[in-house]
Amino acid sequence: MSSWLELLTDNFDALASGFWVTLRLVGGSFALAAVVGTLVAALRIAPSKWLQRLGGVYVETFRNIPLLVLLFIAYFGLRRAGVPINTWVAGIASLGLYTAAYVAEVLRSGVFAVSRGQIDAALSLGFDQRATLRRIVLPQAFRTVISPLGSITIAMIKNSVIVGGAVAINDLLKETRIIASRTFETETAFFWAAVGYLLITVAATIALRRLEQRYAIRR
Amino acid sequence: MGYLFDPDNWEWLITANNLEFLLEGFLVNLQIALVALVCSLILGLALALGRLSRSRPLAFLVGLWVDVWRNLPVLLVILYVYLAMPASWREAYEDAAPAFLPDVMQTGRVFAALLALVLYNSAVLAEIMRAGILSLDRGQGEAAAALGLSYWQRMRIVILPQGLRRMLPATVSQLITLNKDTTLVYIIAIEEVARRGRILTGFNFFGGVQAPLLQVFIVIGLMFIVTNLALSRLSRRLEIRERERTGTMVEPVAGLEDQVVATLPAR
Repeated sequence: MSSWLELLTDNFDALASGFWVTLRLVGGSFALAAVVGTLVAALRIAPSKWLQRLGGVYVETFRNIPLLVLLFIAYFGLRRAGVPINTWVAGIASLGLYTAAYVAEVLRSGVFAVSRGQIDAALSLGFDQRATLRRIVLPQAFRTVISPLGSITIAMIKNSVIVGGAVAINDLLKETRIIASRTFETETAFFWAAVGYLLITVAATIALRRLEQRYAIRR
Repeated sequence: MGYLFDPDNWEWLITANNLEFLLEGFLVNLQIALVALVCSLILGLALALGRLSRSRPLAFLVGLWVDVWRNLPVLLVILYVYLAMPASWREAYEDAAPAFLPDVMQTGRVFAALLALVLYNSAVLAEIMRAGILSLDRGQGEAAAALGLSYWQRMRIVILPQGLRRMLPATVSQLITLNKDTTLVYIIAIEEVARRGRILTGFNFFGGVQAPLLQVFIVIGLMFIVTNLALSRLSRRLEIRERERTGTMVEPVAGLEDQVVATLPAR
């Protein structure tokens, strides 16, 4: 047991820096996914058929392509094409755009979950379209999507590992592999990496549950 | 844009048997996904029943097992299983692998990949199945018990046929995720489609001529889009049929990407 702890204390700096890189990667991708996901969801509920179709193509493309393939396209593909993209931009763009497709789907379903009667009532009370959307539909939609959005966030945290697996970003997994190949203590190194990732996912799960208890509408 | 559509950069597609080379790699992905799915379904059912068991300690232990595996990144699991697996296990698999499988599927590396994918996906599927079983009306189990059926009879005749059918769309969705996850075995040097894409775009292929990476991976992406789009259509159709038949709505389970689970009365 002491050797297990020893590995942690000996390599604490490397593991901590990997952990911090993972957190930044997740944070950046989450922000991008939220913005792009909202825009795509807006396209999908837009009054024009063509805009809806455009949103649909985005969702189906990014949802059905493996993240690893996306990363290869975004990093190595663009580099060979002469675009000087760096690992962080490629990593955050891939993970963010990939997750945005899921976010868009969830937001859209949230808007459709608000019953038609709510909208009719708002309109008959004299709210205009914009005010109906902003004051009646969106607040309710937001409360129904908390739980699925949380699921997506947790899935995204897990997917962030793929970024470090494909391009040269020293995230927690990459640091772990370096330690494992240096010390030959594979089991121990991966055990601590697993603890690190569980720390993030379990913390996210608990935060999500809190948020749900406060705001979520059970349907 | 000029670079992307330049015919010179697409020439590799019709040169020699490049496309066939990629498609063969993609077939390996599909095979890994299929084998992993079948094993995960069996193990997942056992885990779901274990978690629903009346025995408290058993339910707790199985629950812990499921929660740990499904909250770990699958790439980490693949790498760990591969690196930590004793060489004797891999050799045993190579000896025992049936000869009708393609050569790639008979290597010890694939055994590690399959084991990792099954560990992760069985935990996810267990959670999906558990939600399906729990979504059934309590009366179903009680009525079956009142008729004098034993535990296994209740499960086999009454609970599982209904609960599992309800979870069929979610299971197909998980297959999409699994299909995408098979590209991750690239990291342990299994020759599937992503690895073959890298070979094709490497420096020493076809006398120093390398295929353009962007185009190669766009083609690989299209392969996944086509198969997964078909699967998601299937999932949606199953979901609608189930909703019409039973009048229930599906809701997501925490931690999954593509998911539908837990049923509620339709509004």
